[in-house]
Amino acid sequence: MADRLFALCALIAGGIYTYVAFAVIKAPFQYDPLGPETWPQVLAIVFLLCSLYILVRPDPIRLALARSVWLRLLILVFMLLGYAELYEPLGFVVSTALFCSLFSVMLGANRLHAIAFGCATGIIGYGICDFLLGLNLPEGLLAPLL
Amino acid sequence: MNEVLTGLSGGFGVALMPLNLLLVLIGCFAGTLIGALPGIGPINGVAILLPIAYSMGLPPESALILLAGIYYGAEYGGRISSILLNVPGDAGAVMTTLDGNPMAKRGEAGRALSISAVASFVGGTIAVILMSLFGPFLAKFALTFTPADYVALMVFAFASLSSLVGKNQVKTLMGAAIGLMLATVGIDANTGVPRYTGGIPDILAGFDFLVVVIGFFGMAELIHLVEQQVSGKLKLLPIGKSFVTWKDLMQIRWTMLRSSIIGFIIGVLPGVGASVASAVTYGTEMRMAGEDRKKFGTGDPRGLAAPEAGNNAAAGGAMVPMLTLGIPGSGTTAILLGALMLFNVTPGPMMFEQRPEIAWGLIASMYIGNLALLVINLPLVGLFARMLTIPQKYLSPLIAVLAFIGVYSVVGNPFDLLLIIGFGIFGWILRKLEFSLAPIILGFVLGHLFEDNLRRALSISRGDWSILISSWESIGLYVMAVLIVILPVLVSYRNKRKA
Repeated sequence: MADRLFALCALIAGGIYTYVAFAVIKAPFQYDPLGPETWPQVLAIVFLLCSLYILVRPDPIRLALARSVWLRLLILVFMLLGYAELYEPLGFVVSTALFCSLFSVMLGANRLHAIAFGCATGIIGYGICDFLLGLNLPEGLLAPLL
Repeated sequence: MNEVLTGLSGGFGVALMPLNLLLVLIGCFAGTLIGALPGIGPINGVAILLPIAYSMGLPPESALILLAGIYYGAEYGGRISSILLNVPGDAGAVMTTLDGNPMAKRGEAGRALSISAVASFVGGTIAVILMSLFGPFLAKFALTFTPADYVALMVFAFASLSSLVGKNQVKTLMGAAIGLMLATVGIDANTGVPRYTGGIPDILAGFDFLVVVIGFFGMAELIHLVEQQVSGKLKLLPIGKSFVTWKDLMQIRWTMLRSSIIGFIIGVLPGVGASVASAVTYGTEMRMAGEDRKKFGTGDPRGLAAPEAGNNAAAGGAMVPMLTLGIPGSGTTAILLGALMLFNVTPGPMMFEQRPEIAWGLIASMYIGNLALLVINLPLVGLFARMLTIPQKYLSPLIAVLAFIGVYSVVGNPFDLLLIIGFGIFGWILRKLEFSLAPIILGFVLGHLFEDNLRRALSISRGDWSILISSWESIGLYVMAVLIVILPVLVSYRNKRKA
């Protein structure tokens, strides 16, 4: 069932890809026999054939996950999105400390341990990357201090 | 022969420089640590650490030496979680659990770990010896390849990939197609026409290689780990005092030799890596054992040595097509290939002549690395096993932090952080549907090469498609491509009729 659903989505996405390959991509002028559209056209056909095959002969896969697992994965995705959005505004140290504390609490860590772990990761991580490895990380809120 | 010796001595000159020697050791050590972590395999380790290695400002040969050390170190370390936890780090380590974990349950974990360390060493070393003998010749042969031959080579690579990797061949092919399609996003280099950019300026230059790799192999893995974590508790077995004996080594010497050679050959096949090698070598040894085959799966040293020698040999073998043809032999070498391109080094037949310090330096560093791995693995295995006790609740956040550092410090665009999350979710869904992710990264890395060679071949022939089958090299490759797809089907048909 899950496979069929996936194949349907793939057909729709593949359909859009195919439409663009055949109708939209055009070079204003070209010297070579193959333009920018030929290769995507070949790929589109292979992809559509694969999707059709899966639609007709799907594997018996069931995405049987408990509701609590789905919920946690959803929270994980939201935390990741939040981490990405706050990465530059808050800076590496603060956003990492927040993200790591919340994440480890969700995975069952005790709150005090989680906060200690989060702060340590933020500060030590910044220290190693910035001073030792010379990587470029956002300073954010702590810019005046760093 | 002379050429090989000259090349090797130059290579050792590079590999023995203090910086590179240090990097081999760090790479092997870090690789073993990462490989030992439950659920994280070589491909995830290399993917997560690649951007950090890239932004450290090392010369290309040093960065490659470091990353390759992480790669085969993780191949080595994968056996620790397989044996002690019964959790393979990646598909290549699945076979190791079959006999390794029963031995550990019998209280012989020390013996199992040391036997597998020796088998890994033998596999890795035989592979690097074969690589230094055959690599340069293959490179010389490949120098004569025309664009049309490259197209044939690519077809062969994807044929062997879809024939041998994954449970469902159609899904493997579809994965490769997804990778190739992702590679078409961005401005077409030949005509300047934007393709599939949807007017978003951040992807005009195409998806960054690092973003795709970290998305599919860092973030997807993270989501998978968190999902697994809720499912149940794992039991860690103690190592104990048992150790490998001379009798053990004598019993498995031919097993190791056979498995190393088979593993190497499978590794050389483009697109096919350690997971296939360990399955094939295990099956071969079981068939050769005759009456003894019932012992396999109950803790037989041969059943442990075969896949370990096989997957380490395949890891070395997979480097051969990467260095000589510019076509990766496995998912992880696809990432290494992408890493070379980040450094503006074009891997391929010219590399042995134009950049010998990279090709030979890497090979020489692998001799050193294999020896170092054996030496640090026998006494320090207890330390690596401690990695298994790191609670997941702290490990998982660290994976995300490393992935973010990697992407941000190289690309420096917060939009890419959102992209890796998107690719991660997509990759996790594909994994749930039993897609193998390695074909996607192979497709993505080879996308431009495939398209460029096709277009070049046709512009040489002024649009005549028959140029694709105009040389014996390409006809031979197409025949091999057809055979590799048909043979497994024929064999399984024959076995069915027998049964």
